[in-house]
Amino acid sequence: MVDATYSPRPMRFKVRNLRLWLPLLWIATLIIAAVFAPIFAPHDPLAQDLMLERLPPFFIDGSEPGHLLGTDSLGRDVLSRMIYGARIALFVSVIAAFSTGIFGSTLGLIAGYYGGWWDRVISRLVDIWMAFPPVLFAVLLVAVIGTGLTSVIFAIALIDWTRFARVIRAETMVQAQMDYVDSARIGGARRMATLLSEILPNVLPSIIALLALEMGIAVIVEAILSFVNLSISSDDPTWGSMISEGRGAIHFAWWVLLFPLIALFLTVLSFSTLGEGLKKQFDPVLK
Amino acid sequence: MNNLHAKTLDIINLNVTLPNGHRLLRDVSLSLEPGEVRALVGESGAGKSMIGKAVLGILPTGISISQGEILLEGTHLNALTPATRRKTIAQTSALIPQDPLTALNPVRKIGPQITDPLTRIHGWTKARALARTRELLDRVHIRNPDRVLNSYPHELSGGMRQRILIAAAFAPSPRLIVADEPTTALDVTVQKEILRLIRELQQETGTGVLFVTHDMGVVAKISQKVTVLFGGRVVEDAPTRDIFENPEHAYTRALIAATPTPNASIEPFRPVPPALIAELHREIQADDDRFSKRAQP
Amino acid sequence: MTDVMTPPQPALFSIKGLHLSFPDRAHRPLFGAAPRIEVLKGLTLDLPEGRITGIVGESGSGKSTLGRVLVRLLAPDAGQVTFDGKDIGALDEDALRPLRRDLQMIFQDPMSSLNPRHKVWRIIAQPMKRYRRGGTRADALKALEKVGLPESFADRYPHELSGGQRQRVGIARAIALEPRFILADEIVSGLDVSSQAQVLSLLKTLAKDMGLTVAFISHDLSVIRHLCDDVIVLNHGEIVDSGPVQTVFEHPKSDITKALLGAIPRPEIDDSWFE
Repeated sequence: MVDATYSPRPMRFKVRNLRLWLPLLWIATLIIAAVFAPIFAPHDPLAQDLMLERLPPFFIDGSEPGHLLGTDSLGRDVLSRMIYGARIALFVSVIAAFSTGIFGSTLGLIAGYYGGWWDRVISRLVDIWMAFPPVLFAVLLVAVIGTGLTSVIFAIALIDWTRFARVIRAETMVQAQMDYVDSARIGGARRMATLLSEILPNVLPSIIALLALEMGIAVIVEAILSFVNLSISSDDPTWGSMISEGRGAIHFAWWVLLFPLIALFLTVLSFSTLGEGLKKQFDPVLK
Repeated sequence: MNNLHAKTLDIINLNVTLPNGHRLLRDVSLSLEPGEVRALVGESGAGKSMIGKAVLGILPTGISISQGEILLEGTHLNALTPATRRKTIAQTSALIPQDPLTALNPVRKIGPQITDPLTRIHGWTKARALARTRELLDRVHIRNPDRVLNSYPHELSGGMRQRILIAAAFAPSPRLIVADEPTTALDVTVQKEILRLIRELQQETGTGVLFVTHDMGVVAKISQKVTVLFGGRVVEDAPTRDIFENPEHAYTRALIAATPTPNASIEPFRPVPPALIAELHREIQADDDRFSKRAQP
Repeated sequence: MTDVMTPPQPALFSIKGLHLSFPDRAHRPLFGAAPRIEVLKGLTLDLPEGRITGIVGESGSGKSTLGRVLVRLLAPDAGQVTFDGKDIGALDEDALRPLRRDLQMIFQDPMSSLNPRHKVWRIIAQPMKRYRRGGTRADALKALEKVGLPESFADRYPHELSGGQRQRVGIARAIALEPRFILADEIVSGLDVSSQAQVLSLLKTLAKDMGLTVAFISHDLSVIRHLCDDVIVLNHGEIVDSGPVQTVFEHPKSDITKALLGAIPRPEIDDSWFE
């Protein structure tokens, strides 16, 4: 019986929106740092200088002005390695999240809309898939198909598509019950057209939110695989391998561990808050 | 505290406001005698449900009473502490909601959902609460009370659930019942049955009823007094007979004319004239201007 | 009034022995198929061309199910559904698609039947495009004009409209295809009386001007009395009364019809109503 006329609200810069803007700010910083890494990084991330090993960060006595966040046990600049590490983290998260999202959402849409035999096969597959412990699965997978970034991305997509498939299937089923789907049939739409032009726009906000969340997860998985040396070669600067190396020196050079850990934490947190925020921004009805 | 000669309910210049200052109720005044049914009628957005919610202290978050008095059985509700106010309202009033499905907790059996308030709020013994519940279920023509008391809400039909909610509302013989569109979701034959039950029980217990509805037909059958609302303002307040036989305000006449009837000789489909709506909106605007002047002298 | 004088029209829809049942999922056994609940129990009826037929009944009478068979959102278990001389009861979706242009529907809840992500003009234009009957913005504007909505509504989203305006968009979408038949399923039950009156007089005018055959499903006999030419009263999946509205209202054959008529609260003082 709601008969009120609503007017569209313009997007405003509000304190409430900080939940959207702060993560965006951090991610934008990361992107700029990653793209222009050679400009921003003060040093070559691979250059070792055993004369300058385990230099502390700038706010502690004994630091060198050239090494803002200190150096690791091989004398490599921590800040420079983190900036180059952002490159890998972002690359992996974007490619992995999108391939996971496209694959999982497609299956979810098909299962939720076509139902019947399609739904039974896809849902069983999801059940079976989810019975595997994910990290172990990833480690095994990378061990079998070999290390390297492509393998990491492939492993993430192959494991996490179920997240998309489950959520999007449920959302699609809800949307498929709505009268506008029947009214598309009445209006002569083919099934595929109904799915793509009627249902998909209505589940898109959820897909976007999940994509952001998945980017955070991809960063973590990449870090885990680096940590156990199953990502790219340990010389290459990734946050995971930095954390792994820093762990051994935690008592006398904690910064090697702490700074990449903070970067990892902020990135994952940003992606997941961004997901929720985006979902609200993209939804004209729920706002 | 209770004044024996007091009206069941007295609302004086009630203003209910959104956080941004927009008024949903504009200086609404009305009263309810014991044993009387007063219909609150209007289209959506008229604020008719808001009155009942304000009286029962269940306004949605963010919406609040900005001005005015509510006297329940002679007691000034605003003068009480929130805890006392809640207790006073719970002990004297009850609600018959619009949607009988969401008003009942789906995972609990019907029985305790009716008897719990009787023991908790009214301090009755379990046996007394149960006996009274059985009596009331019988009064609303539920033939197998024990089976119903042991059922879950989804096992019963819509009409059955609404009868149960009526029994639950009348069980403690409250002084005031707010019935918020209690028959809107029901078929006409069930609606008639439910209206009859409310009328019978209300006359028996001497309960005053605020009956919120958008249906002028229902108003004609159930109420003795009518408050016609538009845009949160009282347009007309009169005995039901006068409203239908001698309506004063053009909007009341328009609402009656727009109500469909199976009488073929009556010209159908007469919406409220847009000019009249525009006139009412102008009055609201003028009213709001006066109100803001009053607020900032 | 003139109902009795109207010469019999050829039937656009002719339905014989229509049966339909749904699986009863609440009583599904652990293994095997759920038992079925019979919703329509062998209906036989005609919908004459160019007339508005009211279908009335209480909840559970099967009126909406019957409607969904007419526009073939549901397929019958048994029986014939003949539209314009052709049995459409067993056709598959591909064979139905060319026919659907003639079988349009206006839904009960315009909020859920208008895609919340599409603008009004697109909602109207899309089916026109599919049937190659235009489908430009200009075509949508013409349809909007017919239902009395100004051009400024074309670029709004459904949630920005009032209930009555949404239902007008639903009507515009249906008539834009110039169909022969429209099913209107409880289209005013969520609206205020004033918007109800507007939507109903609009529907009546359009139906008469365009020579449409309309099935108007409602629980409200008052509305049917004024809108419809004929009426069918359903009860538990069976027809208990039918005929021209005047006949059925003045000489109801079935107790169900009498009870329905007696339960209408008319907006007038009547102290004996409850007796």
